[in-house]
Amino acid sequence: MADIVQKENLLVRMQEDIRRALEKPEGERRWGMVIDTRKCVGCHACTLSCVAENKLPPGVVYRPVLDQEIGTYPNVTRRFMPRPCMQCEEPPCVPVCPVNATYKRPDGIVAIDYEQCIGCRYCITACPYSARTFDVGYTYTEGTPEQEVYELLPNYEYGVEHARVPGSEESPIGNARKCHFCLHRLEQGALPMCVTTCIGVANYFGDLNDPDSLVAEMAAQPNAVVLKEELGTKPKVFYLV
Amino acid sequence: MTTLATPMPGNEVKSPNWVQWVAWALTIVCLAAGAYGLYLRFTEGHAAASYGSYVPWGLWIAAYVALIGASAGAFGFAAVIFTMRKTEYYGLARLAMLVAFGAFAAGMMNVWLDLGHPFRFWKLMLQTSWTSIMGWMSWFYVIYGLILVVGLFLTRKGVIPKFMERFSWVAFLFAIAFAGAEGALFGVVGARALWESGLTPILFLVEAALFGVGLVAAGALIFGGMNPKAARMLGVVMLILLGVLLLLEWAEYTTALYASVPAKSSAVMTILTGPFWWVFWGLHLGLGVVLPGLLLLFGRGNVLLTGIAGALIAAMGLATKLNLVLPALAQEELEGLAHAFTGPGLTFSYFPSTMEWLVWLGTLGLGGLIVLIGYRLFSLSTPTRSSASK
Ligand code: SF4
Ligand code: SF4
Repeated sequence: MADIVQKENLLVRMQEDIRRALEKPEGERRWGMVIDTRKCVGCHACTLSCVAENKLPPGVVYRPVLDQEIGTYPNVTRRFMPRPCMQCEEPPCVPVCPVNATYKRPDGIVAIDYEQCIGCRYCITACPYSARTFDVGYTYTEGTPEQEVYELLPNYEYGVEHARVPGSEESPIGNARKCHFCLHRLEQGALPMCVTTCIGVANYFGDLNDPDSLVAEMAAQPNAVVLKEELGTKPKVFYLV
Repeated sequence: MTTLATPMPGNEVKSPNWVQWVAWALTIVCLAAGAYGLYLRFTEGHAAASYGSYVPWGLWIAAYVALIGASAGAFGFAAVIFTMRKTEYYGLARLAMLVAFGAFAAGMMNVWLDLGHPFRFWKLMLQTSWTSIMGWMSWFYVIYGLILVVGLFLTRKGVIPKFMERFSWVAFLFAIAFAGAEGALFGVVGARALWESGLTPILFLVEAALFGVGLVAAGALIFGGMNPKAARMLGVVMLILLGVLLLLEWAEYTTALYASVPAKSSAVMTILTGPFWWVFWGLHLGLGVVLPGLLLLFGRGNVLLTGIAGALIAAMGLATKLNLVLPALAQEELEGLAHAFTGPGLTFSYFPSTMEWLVWLGTLGLGGLIVLIGYRLFSLSTPTRSSASK
């Protein structure tokens, strides 16, 4: 592993892994992520790059970084744990959706059809990782002397243009929202924004079905764990501890 | 006031009395508050509400489950009366159907306004996902609403058709399935330790029956549709249900506390000792269980006390459901989440906003209006009898 880290440009390798995966039929890919908590310094760059990429309004967050304290004073350490959607293999958020707006794609990503979602928020209650948030309709600069134009720019989640119309209930306002591994970038062969941005390359991303991919290699490390394993949700986000 | 205690064979009632005027006044106040709340809801959207991402459901969902439960309970009560051919309570059973409809409409209004996209509600019926209890519930609501309307219409002249008596047991089973499924809506959510319990649907059933009968007793007080015999019967039913409710709650809370699995025990501790401890101890236990229990015990057969006890039980149903919905959601699912990223709605504390209270009042006003108008529309003041007794 030390070799990998020192000799290769990991981002380039992951990019290559993605290119290979995209050549396969969608159902044969299994997108996954490994987060190395030992490399994460808690800078929150991934959180903010995600906010910028997906034009997330106040109150909506896809990838917060949890700051956890271990031990009692004076013997304490800190651990940072970024928490994207786990893209569960057995996602509890899917069967509860009363209108099939939340579904698992053949490549394993759990997606939301914004136009189908009625905003009941049942899925938010069902997610054991609090990975879903509710878009209430805020903008950052509403009510200030000038509503900033960038806030009203459309986002392109799921490869669809979604304009933001404050004061309306036009999707994604009124919807449940969550991380989708930057599907719109992925389908163009680009890494999720958080992976690209991470200053310490603490994230590995790719096709877990490809044994040659970096992410599969990392997920197979003996120190790779998933959150709340006992629930049987089979997350596709692993943590190296 | 004399009308309240007058024995009424056949359940004929005298109206209006002063209690009805108070009911009208309260209804109008609630509707006025609701109109302003509705204005805020549609001009400011969900931004004017306190629920958000970490506590995604609030007052409205608690009110919705309380009202729908009470509705199913009142409906089930009517179905039992018809099934058992208890003709002396037929008037009460008709009133039960009417309050069931009022509570149902108010509950539906709460949940409809809670939707992020209220005008997409039709998808629930036309694009239903059958893996979701909520999907099933939406169809149950359609069927239930239809049954109530048809039932009220068919009995509008005070004559209960024979087939209604014969098939009311089906309606009773439906009420059980309906109220139980409402509980399953929460019971199947594995992510929330407080909800995920086989007891949840049973608890919902008992609460539904209790709040429903309470609502009927309160309605009977308002419309003068209760004689001492009916009061005694309602009182006994409520006392039994109160006892069962306490037993179930005791079982649920003590097992959670003794098992000490933090996800569940911390939710129970939030209920018992959290910032809103008074909702459990004061509103639920004090005003919703102990006080009505005492009124019923010491005022057996007393129309006024039975009606007041019923009203307290039904009103405090909201506190019971608030304790179900909120503490379960107010638990950090992953340590550090509360402070990881801040913003509106990214908090684990919740107290309803003014808009939420106003809209909620409005929905109660709507339910009240339906009952008050329906009382006249369906001639509930006329004596009720079975068509078999023609
Ligand atoms: S982490 Fe939550 S939102 Fe993501 S797939 Fe799993 S249950 Fe669904
Ligand atoms: S909020 Fe939307 S995605 Fe979530 S359960 Fe409701 S309809 Fe489905």
